[in-house]
Amino acid sequence: MNLRARLAGVRRVLAKEDVQSLSRRYFVANGFDGTLTSIGVVVGAYLGGVGDGLAVVGIGLGAAIGLGTSGIWSVWEIERAETSREQAEIESAMLTSLENTRLTRDFRNEQIVLALAAASGPVIGVVITLLPFLFEGVFLSMFQAVIASIALSVLLLGSVGAYMGVISKQRWYVAAVRMGLAGIVVAGITVLLPG
Amino acid sequence: MATIRRLVLDVLKPHEPKMVPFTEELSDSEDVTGVTAKLVEIEENVRTIRVTLEGDALDLESIEARITDLGGSVHSVDEVSVGKEIVEDPWLTG
Repeated sequence: MNLRARLAGVRRVLAKEDVQSLSRRYFVANGFDGTLTSIGVVVGAYLGGVGDGLAVVGIGLGAAIGLGTSGIWSVWEIERAETSREQAEIESAMLTSLENTRLTRDFRNEQIVLALAAASGPVIGVVITLLPFLFEGVFLSMFQAVIASIALSVLLLGSVGAYMGVISKQRWYVAAVRMGLAGIVVAGITVLLPG
Repeated sequence: MATIRRLVLDVLKPHEPKMVPFTEELSDSEDVTGVTAKLVEIEENVRTIRVTLEGDALDLESIEARITDLGGSVHSVDEVSVGKEIVEDPWLTG
């Protein structure tokens, strides 16, 4: 199959409402995980005495790789199992194999789209949270970078919350505060942890 | 080889692709001038539809291949019109 046909197939599944909805869920759920993990890593590293911004970036990127791989791997396997079951049910009703049809190609494209959504959420969450540490020693102190990182995370979580509030037709600012609060809670718990 | 101007096919297909894109795909061919798909029966995972295609020289084999690629299966060819013009069934037109 050529690249144009493959892209057309991806565009086709991206237009499906159920794929959009599932991608959103995976992206937001895993992005939430990634952002909160990153806050924990950032605050923990600072309290643990890491004094170099780039070292924090390195630790955080390790977390991003772990969470991104987890997202892509788990969702790929989950969706593969689900689509195989669905394909078997349809084949049983059709009394014929559906291999190499548009249906199975769409299933495969859905797997790719959903796995990428699940992986990109945490990676984006972690990378945005780590950005202030790139400027540590340039015009931010380590403490200022931590505060900026927490602020960015809360802002990111709040933006996602606001977006979810808009699509669910609820009050966007309430949804934004509810999501953003999680970032402050994680930072608070990490600070209060013994040691 | 006979010049097929109209075909009526009995097709079993999964619910996806939906009726509009399925019909659009079948019409997206030079030999086809128009397609009508009509729902006959609907079940949990599949549906039976009647597909009517018209054109100047329909290629049954390529149409069957396209339906198969879309996940459908042609159960029977229910009506064929060939020749210089389409002759309507007098039983239906009165």
